[in-house]
Amino acid sequence: MSDVDTYRAKARAWLQSMAPIYGRDARRGLSEVEDLALARRYQRAKFDAGYAGINWPTAVGGQGLSHLEKVTFDTEEMSFGMPSVYFGISLGMPVPILIRFCEDKAWMRERVIAALKGEEIWCQLFSEPAGGSDLAGLRTRAEQDGNGWKLNGQKVWTSWAQYSDYGVIVARTDPTVPKHKGLTYFWVDMRAPGVTVRPIKLAGGDSHVNEVFFDDVKLTDAQRMSPVGGGFAVAMATLMIERYVATDSAGFGPPLDLFVDLARTCSLYGRPALEDARIRSTIARNYAMRAGLESITTRAMKMMQAGMEPGAEGSLNKLVAVRSRQKLSEMAIDLQGNLGLHFDPHAFVKEDWTASWINAPTGRIAGGADEMLLNTIAEKILGLPQDYRPDKGVPFNQIPA
Amino acid sequence: MSILYDDGQQAIATESRRVLDARMDKDRLLKLLEQQGAWDDIFWKTAVEQGWTALALPEAYGGLGLGLVELGLVAQACGAATAGAPFLTVGDGAAQAVLAAGGDDLKASLLPALASGEKLATVAFAEGNAPLPSLPEARFANGVLTGGKPGVVAGLRADVALVWANHAGQPALVLADLTAAKRTAIDSFDNSRLYADLGFDQVPATLLVDGAPALSLAQTILARMAVVTAHEQTGGAEALLFIARDYANTRKAFGQPIGGFQSVKHRIAELYGLVELARANCIHAAASDGSPDFLKAAAAARLSATEAYDTTARDTVQIHGGIGVTWEAGLHLHMRRARSLAIEQGNMFFWEDLLVSELTGVAA
Ligand SMILES: Cc1cc2nc3c(=O)[nH]c(=O)nc-3n(C[C@H](O)[C@H](O)[C@H](O)COP(=O)(O)OP(=O)(O)OC[C@H]3O[C@@H](n4cnc5c(N)ncnc54)[C@H](O)[C@@H]3O)c2cc1C
Repeated sequence: MSDVDTYRAKARAWLQSMAPIYGRDARRGLSEVEDLALARRYQRAKFDAGYAGINWPTAVGGQGLSHLEKVTFDTEEMSFGMPSVYFGISLGMPVPILIRFCEDKAWMRERVIAALKGEEIWCQLFSEPAGGSDLAGLRTRAEQDGNGWKLNGQKVWTSWAQYSDYGVIVARTDPTVPKHKGLTYFWVDMRAPGVTVRPIKLAGGDSHVNEVFFDDVKLTDAQRMSPVGGGFAVAMATLMIERYVATDSAGFGPPLDLFVDLARTCSLYGRPALEDARIRSTIARNYAMRAGLESITTRAMKMMQAGMEPGAEGSLNKLVAVRSRQKLSEMAIDLQGNLGLHFDPHAFVKEDWTASWINAPTGRIAGGADEMLLNTIAEKILGLPQDYRPDKGVPFNQIPA
Repeated sequence: MSILYDDGQQAIATESRRVLDARMDKDRLLKLLEQQGAWDDIFWKTAVEQGWTALALPEAYGGLGLGLVELGLVAQACGAATAGAPFLTVGDGAAQAVLAAGGDDLKASLLPALASGEKLATVAFAEGNAPLPSLPEARFANGVLTGGKPGVVAGLRADVALVWANHAGQPALVLADLTAAKRTAIDSFDNSRLYADLGFDQVPATLLVDGAPALSLAQTILARMAVVTAHEQTGGAEALLFIARDYANTRKAFGQPIGGFQSVKHRIAELYGLVELARANCIHAAASDGSPDFLKAAAAARLSATEAYDTTARDTVQIHGGIGVTWEAGLHLHMRRARSLAIEQGNMFFWEDLLVSELTGVAA
């Protein structure tokens, strides 16, 4: 067995031992508050067992291993339905960026360890009503205020802001220069006076995203994590961390086997649905798509193992997998006919087709909409021209609103 | 069981691409489209000289002892160049069947001749529109074959054929001597594939295997050829992706390169996705040769490579506007090849159903 296989086996055994306490079945019927409390205990258990901050430096409480072990663990973890979702953003982006860009190392270390233990949660305050895909179009202002800064404006779609202790934020510090150049990156205390969080109910019924309002919120200059005007580069660095996340050829929806199981129980015109050409074609195409993505992922892991940078084709994962999941979920509902009208808003998306279907659109928007992913593939991988951008080079305050 | 190519494999990929770039000529290929019974002899000589006919045969029979991964890489280079006299894929298929089920004498007499390119072999499984009928109508008895096979690739020229036949009510694989067969040329949209309807009237043949083991071997051989073809399709699809990209970067309309229009740009990005999925499935399938999952892996490669090649052909022509539909621009070489390769080694219905039967245990 290679080192990674040994690591995988060990991680799997540990996860299996934890599953009865924290896994999908243990979480059934819990309220979100109860689930979050369970999640914090699970995160603490991970920390104690050496599965938190797997690829982070030991100096900040991590395990000092590589991306490979981290992706391996996350991939194994995915099938158990553990409550890791509340920390996904926190430990995925804001906290790693804090490690890299926070000047006050002692304070940083305290925060990182608290986050790794599940005691504190960080959110990512990038998107705004005026700028989602067009991140640099954001309008939240940070103005110099004595030795520090004063923050005013609104963020939106902030995942888990309602439970967050801190956040990382990009704000405009100079509206007189072109949009990318006038941004600065800070961390912010979510409990500071002037911060208001309002949950947004999503189509599927849950409210894990929020609007966040900033009304004369005071920041010290020590909260600044980029040079003044250099915030866009740190924002890009934040998003680049995503290159090393665990992927799921099911698009974070149900596995294909579940569709086959469903088809096995259904008939069409008195014949088993599995004999129907449309169902067979759907299964075959889905299998081929998933097998392709899994092969891409396997090779990416092997490249990491060999100390190489994984190939650009890894960027296809979310684009291809999530929209396929969306269609397959529709098909699964169709297959059940009138029996497919039932809806349980608390069902898990990985085991319920209706929950998977109603929540699928968020996956095609969050973390880069499909169209932006296509732009990135076209421009960065294939060298096709950038879109025409009328706001290019124009001072931000002269761009028509 | 996906792999990273090792240095030797990468060298084969680079070298085969280099050789073909130097020797292939679009005008030569265009001429072949309007001739019957002619194939690209310059390509075929190149293939023999480069040892591609010997690549996947054991050294004991004059081969190079390499495997499906290497053969796939050569096929990919051939696909990119729309090269490929038809013999490479089916020649290997027939040779592998003989290797697996032939007697020692047959192996010793035939395999070295196939490895050296001196003899050409093909595979004739299909009847009607069924790529692998459960019980074929072509009959084998007393050392001779009767009946026929439609649309056999390389059928106009091959010396021997691996034939899917009925032996006393059981399916069987037999090796037929085509010198005695009747060959009727098909006027096809891809003439250099040398398609022919084969007629067997007491044609001498050798039984390799019959009954259930024959079905299992026929499926494995078909899957193997499907994997080689999937590489060829992926090579063609990737070549088209780059042709589309380069054209979109240079052709201007409304004051900008057409690649600046998102409907064009996104279309090309989608093609990239199809090509990479096909490539990934090809690598996985080639590396799964001999594993219990081989049929599934081959089916996935076949389905995604066919989709990739057909779609890149369709969209690349579209992105070229009027020039794309001219004879001279030659994009139709790919369009034609995308369709001929989609049929050879079994159409999509067949592979979808085979895959689902493997996955669920339920037949269509
Ligand atoms: C569940 C969920 C969780 C989220 N969590 C967070 C979070 O924690 N923190 C955070 O900062 N943000 C978060 N987001 C926000 C997310 O990043 C944005 O929603 C996303 O970037 C899209 O921005 P938008 O909603 O403003 O849509 P828009 O940018 O307005 O896009 C609308 C449509 O226009 C298309 N479009 C936009 N620009 C182009 C272009 N150049 N070419 C072609 N099409 C274009 C888009 O693809 C989309 O289809 C979350 C979103 C969701 C749904």
